[in-house]
Amino acid sequence: MEFDWIKIPYALLTLFIVLNYGLLMTAIIQKMGARAGRRYGIRFYQNYIDLIKNYSMRSKITHGYMFYLGPVFRLTGGIGLLLFVPTIYGSEMWSNFSFSGDLILALYFVFFGTLGMALGAGESGHPFAALGVSRGLSQVTAAELPFAIAVFTVALQYQTLNFNEIVAAQQGGFLNWTLFTNPFAVAAAMIAFLGMMMRSPFDVVVAPQEIPIGPPTEYHSAYLALMQTNRNIFPIAKIVVYMNLFFGGAGSWPEFMIKAFLLYLVSALVGVVFPRFRVEQSIRFFLIWGVPVAIIGLLWV
Amino acid sequence: MTLQNIAMSTGFILILIGLYGAMTHKNILRMIVGFTIAGTGTNLVLIAVGYLPGRAAPILNAAVPIETASATIVDPVPQALVLTAIVIGLGVTALMLAFAYKIHATKGTLDISKLTDLKW
Amino acid sequence: MVSPIYLIVITLGAAFLLGLLSERRTELAHFITVLALAAGGLVSFGWLWIMAAEGASAVEIYTAGTKPPFAINLRVGLPEAALLLLIYLTGLMSAIHMKDMLLRKGRRAMAVLLIAIMALAGIIMTRDIFNIFVFFELVAISTGGMVLLSDDPRALSAGIKYLIIAQVISILLLVGIIFTYQATGSLNIDFMKTPELALGGGGTLAFFLLLVPLLVELKPFPANGWALDIYQSAHPAFSAILSAATGSAALFAVDKIMDIGGASWGPVLTGVGLLSFVVSNILALVQKNDRRLLGYSSVAQTGLILAVVGQRELLGESYLFIAGGLLIGHAVAKAGLFYLSDLVKGRMLTNWADLRRNPLLVFAFATFIAMLSGLPPFPGFYAKWELVHALMASGKTGLVVLILFGAILEAGYLFRWFGYLMKRPQSNTPGTLPLRGVLVTMAAALAGWLAAYIWGELSGYDNLLSQTALLFALGFLLIDWFPAKLKNTIAIAGMLAFFWQSYTGYDPIQMIFGIIILVGGAVILLASYHERGQRIGFYPSALLMFAGLAMLIVAEQSFQFFAAWEVLTLGSYFLILRGKNAEPHALSYILFSLAGAFAIIAGFALAAQGQAGFKITALADVAADLAPWVFILLAIGFMTKTAVIGLHIWLPGAHAEAETDVSPMVSGILLKAGLFGIIVLLSNMGSPELYGVKLTYVMLWIGALTALMGNLMAAFQEDAKRLLAYSSIGQMGYAIFGLALMNHLGWLMALMFVINHYIYKSMLFLSVGGVAKRTGTKLMYKMGGLITLMPLSFFVVLIGIIAVSGVPPLSGFGGRWMFYNAILDSENRLPMIIIFISGPIAFLYLFRLIHAIFLGQLKDEHRKLKEPSFWIMVPQVIYVVLLLAFAVLPGMALQKVDTFLNGMFPEGGLNWDGLLITSDYGYWSPVWIMVVTGGIFAAVFMLLLAINRKAQKVKQFNIVYSAERPYRPETTHFAWNFFAPYRKAIWFLLLPIATRFWGGITEALHATAGFMRRFYTGDAQHYVFHLLGFVVGLYLILLGVQ
Repeated sequence: MEFDWIKIPYALLTLFIVLNYGLLMTAIIQKMGARAGRRYGIRFYQNYIDLIKNYSMRSKITHGYMFYLGPVFRLTGGIGLLLFVPTIYGSEMWSNFSFSGDLILALYFVFFGTLGMALGAGESGHPFAALGVSRGLSQVTAAELPFAIAVFTVALQYQTLNFNEIVAAQQGGFLNWTLFTNPFAVAAAMIAFLGMMMRSPFDVVVAPQEIPIGPPTEYHSAYLALMQTNRNIFPIAKIVVYMNLFFGGAGSWPEFMIKAFLLYLVSALVGVVFPRFRVEQSIRFFLIWGVPVAIIGLLWV
Repeated sequence: MTLQNIAMSTGFILILIGLYGAMTHKNILRMIVGFTIAGTGTNLVLIAVGYLPGRAAPILNAAVPIETASATIVDPVPQALVLTAIVIGLGVTALMLAFAYKIHATKGTLDISKLTDLKW
Repeated sequence: MVSPIYLIVITLGAAFLLGLLSERRTELAHFITVLALAAGGLVSFGWLWIMAAEGASAVEIYTAGTKPPFAINLRVGLPEAALLLLIYLTGLMSAIHMKDMLLRKGRRAMAVLLIAIMALAGIIMTRDIFNIFVFFELVAISTGGMVLLSDDPRALSAGIKYLIIAQVISILLLVGIIFTYQATGSLNIDFMKTPELALGGGGTLAFFLLLVPLLVELKPFPANGWALDIYQSAHPAFSAILSAATGSAALFAVDKIMDIGGASWGPVLTGVGLLSFVVSNILALVQKNDRRLLGYSSVAQTGLILAVVGQRELLGESYLFIAGGLLIGHAVAKAGLFYLSDLVKGRMLTNWADLRRNPLLVFAFATFIAMLSGLPPFPGFYAKWELVHALMASGKTGLVVLILFGAILEAGYLFRWFGYLMKRPQSNTPGTLPLRGVLVTMAAALAGWLAAYIWGELSGYDNLLSQTALLFALGFLLIDWFPAKLKNTIAIAGMLAFFWQSYTGYDPIQMIFGIIILVGGAVILLASYHERGQRIGFYPSALLMFAGLAMLIVAEQSFQFFAAWEVLTLGSYFLILRGKNAEPHALSYILFSLAGAFAIIAGFALAAQGQAGFKITALADVAADLAPWVFILLAIGFMTKTAVIGLHIWLPGAHAEAETDVSPMVSGILLKAGLFGIIVLLSNMGSPELYGVKLTYVMLWIGALTALMGNLMAAFQEDAKRLLAYSSIGQMGYAIFGLALMNHLGWLMALMFVINHYIYKSMLFLSVGGVAKRTGTKLMYKMGGLITLMPLSFFVVLIGIIAVSGVPPLSGFGGRWMFYNAILDSENRLPMIIIFISGPIAFLYLFRLIHAIFLGQLKDEHRKLKEPSFWIMVPQVIYVVLLLAFAVLPGMALQKVDTFLNGMFPEGGLNWDGLLITSDYGYWSPVWIMVVTGGIFAAVFMLLLAINRKAQKVKQFNIVYSAERPYRPETTHFAWNFFAPYRKAIWFLLLPIATRFWGGITEALHATAGFMRRFYTGDAQHYVFHLLGFVVGLYLILLGVQ
């Protein structure tokens, strides 16, 4: 296969758009959450400031090679996922590197960054890092279940593992979206979505306010900056997968942005409304609510 | 009741008596006596089976010519068996008595129910 | 040839001659005894040679100058000659073995021994039933005398018990003889056959009374308390005679008088025999005294042969081969074990650990238990094969079940005993082993191997002892005194040469397995270079396993397949047992494997329906009503080896407790035997239906549940090697699932799993094993932070877990990709859900593995550790390269297989279009994935380096939590019970149900045995009562059945 070198600038452009979009969108959604809690919230450009600050911090330590590489794995995972999935339907160029693999590649590449980051944080020797990973892995593997079944349902429904074909099958009006052709699968996938976004009620893993726990705590300066960058890319990459599988994909950048925003909003809304689960509670939640719905969806096809 | 039947019944009764004795008495010597009685009974049964009423003893002499022997004498085989069995019985009995002696010498008892150090 | 009558003459004459000697010339007396027995053996051998090699017919020896029925005649045919040889050799070896005792007791004792042997020979040769009686009485008297040749004072009471029973037997026998004489008018077996004596005829009781005393001579349950007491207390060399020679003679006597009663009595023998076989084996389970255990085992084996005698009409021509094979196996092994027991000081089974000092004796012991368990290449193996085939062909499934049940019990206590021998502590005061005893034992062992060769020649199959692979493995027994490194080189060279020589004949599937077994095995053996010294026993065992595997994949007939299967089982058992704490795990491994093998033999037998030389491909032609059952039996057998859920409990311990370089062999390679079996099964039989259920559908569920439970259990292990072992269970579940999908990609995925699993599991076991060797523990929470000390090991494990988890860009991903494509082809959705659930769980245990060992806090006691030794690292590095190569170019290995599978599943293959691999549903380009991932990674890494190159390395405790600086790594390393929340959520899935189930069965059997054996009170009068009860009970049963 002949490689088209022009793909690389396009990929970088995709990255750039998504990063900026992510920075802005997460800030806005965070602000909305704050307003719901009757606080003023951050400024919409706060993320940029944080990022720049962290990239330019001078105090830098390392616990070892794996510690050093952890954030690299993490960001590679985010960027890779974004670039392995066609961003804009119907566009050869905005499909980026999706010629390397299909849906299954996306499904498994999700873990690449997680694994690397967990390893890096593990080398710091901080018990809380391991504790966070333990909780995170437990929860994510449970949250993955309904998602994996839903993905398989979609593949079965459209008899293909190719993103483009899946999106193509959903064209011609929103009633053709998987959301409407197989609502159970989508419901299950959305339950999983909540878990994967790690927002309340599934945020005990990162425990953002009261105890510093989990890998982000161990990292600082440029490491943290890489991870922040990823925080703004990775969720959107996941949303792209969701969009393509369940919500008819995006035919253009504006459509992409609206859909991404709305999807992101779902988890934010739920997060504002619900209190937090303990880890075993969230595992059981996914097993009791997510998996059966996913099974119904699977049998529905 | 023919002589043959009497002999055979007596033989079986002796066997049963002997075995009964061997199984109820704890003393090894008494058990040996029981087996001897049973052995005698067995021999009697053997003889009884081979006995044919009205025939001569299986000894070929002037009185019993060879030509007609098979019709006039009793079956010699069981008698030969009995002879052998008696000899063997003697040997076994002797060996058992020797064991009894040795048991008494080493363990100081002839009570069979006390020889249960090997079990399970 | 010398007339057989001289057998009696020589022995009897020598006995009389001894009487003429002076009391003090004991050495000479012993010499005469030995000479007489040797002469007898020579004569017997001469006759056997004439009969067997030159095909002479049986000879008759007339006595008293008249022909039967008016005089007694003797006969020597092939079976007689063989049995005579057996009896004389046993007598000879026992006479040599107990020389000291015989010298002490003087010439009378030797005369008694000669009389005993002469009487046994008489029983074999005579055709006259009264003569049989006489010889039996002689045996009884001489036995009574020989029992006293013991240091054990309790022999006295055993002797009197025996004599008492002998009295009852002789009364019964005499009465039986006289009444059968009355019924038939003859005492000669050849003239007594009359229908009247058949079961149910007018002479039933007469023949019953003749038969029963002879049966009692075989010590059947329950009339056998006396015999056990003798076995326990007599001199073991005499017990050898009692078990091997007397038992054989009595069996032959029963066989002879069966000519009179006819085939209708067969079921009686089989019933009595099987009852003894099963019950005695159960009773033996709780036996701790070695000689009494051997007694139970003798009784059991005799029972089995008796059962075979009962089936002789059915077995027809193969009767002698089967009964003879079982008999020779029993006799040689039992005699040998009794000889061995004389070399052991203590009488507990655990005392046998002392024998470990002499590797020759270990070899002998292993030979004997393999013979008793009917394992290849010994006669019992061929006999068992033929027997099961004959019985299955005539629909006697119940008999097969009972026989196999008894056999597994027997294997249970025998192999447990072998475990004691290899693993239990030795006594503090080891005496020297008497040379004579060692030699006699070795002679018995060699006799066993000779018999193995002969039975192999007679079998009509390829003689196992002429197979190159097997001979190569056995050859290591001869060079076991070489240094380990030299043997290792020979082994590697041999395996590679064998591959080089045979690879042209492999089809692509065989090729995959062939490469993994022979080349892959050689790669793992590279790690074995790290061992110093001789490493006695390792190479014969390992090569036995590899030989079995190599024979398995090329097997064409069911016999070859099964023989190879048993060989690899046995080899791997010895290999696993070498692990330090492996004793219980090796035992459960061999028991599950043997039970699985029994399922396989039953399956093949059911399929063959009596055809000889059944080809595996003929499985496709099995009749439709039998096919599902054949499928089930074979599948159970194969799935025992892959450790599917429920049958998996042997695996974790066996794989985890094995030595560092053994774990990768048994995990990376041996497990594939089961998969190969399933491949063979499915490719020939397809998917039969039972009651409307497709059996592959059941298999799908089994595979899925295995994958789930294997992964789940792995996530909760604290022991690193156990974690890997459970992970193997899960991986095998995936492979079974893939095969059971019965479509193109499912199979391709399974084969990819075969390759992948070999590479990464061998690699992980080696690196984890190497680390464990350094740290001295396998518990992960006791390690931690080792990344700084063992960076290479860390890197290997990292690559390994990425590959296992299926995360791109490594090769595990290819497996997942094919898996999704395969299930899209399939209609069975429910079991797939289970597979989905199990997938992500793999991340849990994989992360735990690498984190708890290499990350986190380094322990103080580990601060000076180094990388594992060079040779352990070598294969790991090779594997890393292989994994990367296979990740980028999976087509290298898979493209040919893909094409080959088109023959079976023409639909749904892959397209290999340059760098892109496409299926009907999706596409995948391993190279591009690697390039893109690598590119992004490199770019991000560069970015980080650019802005963060001056990062300062800090020390271990440069962290703060709970407002304190930690200083104790033990309390700071978060590793124990790592997934506590997960456990809380799904604890009910982790209950050890299978372990409890199998443990419960074992305990129930032991409890039954413990309770039942109280029946043997030790009181002679109770034994008489048992005997009479047996006689009366048996008769009542016969009446009832009629």
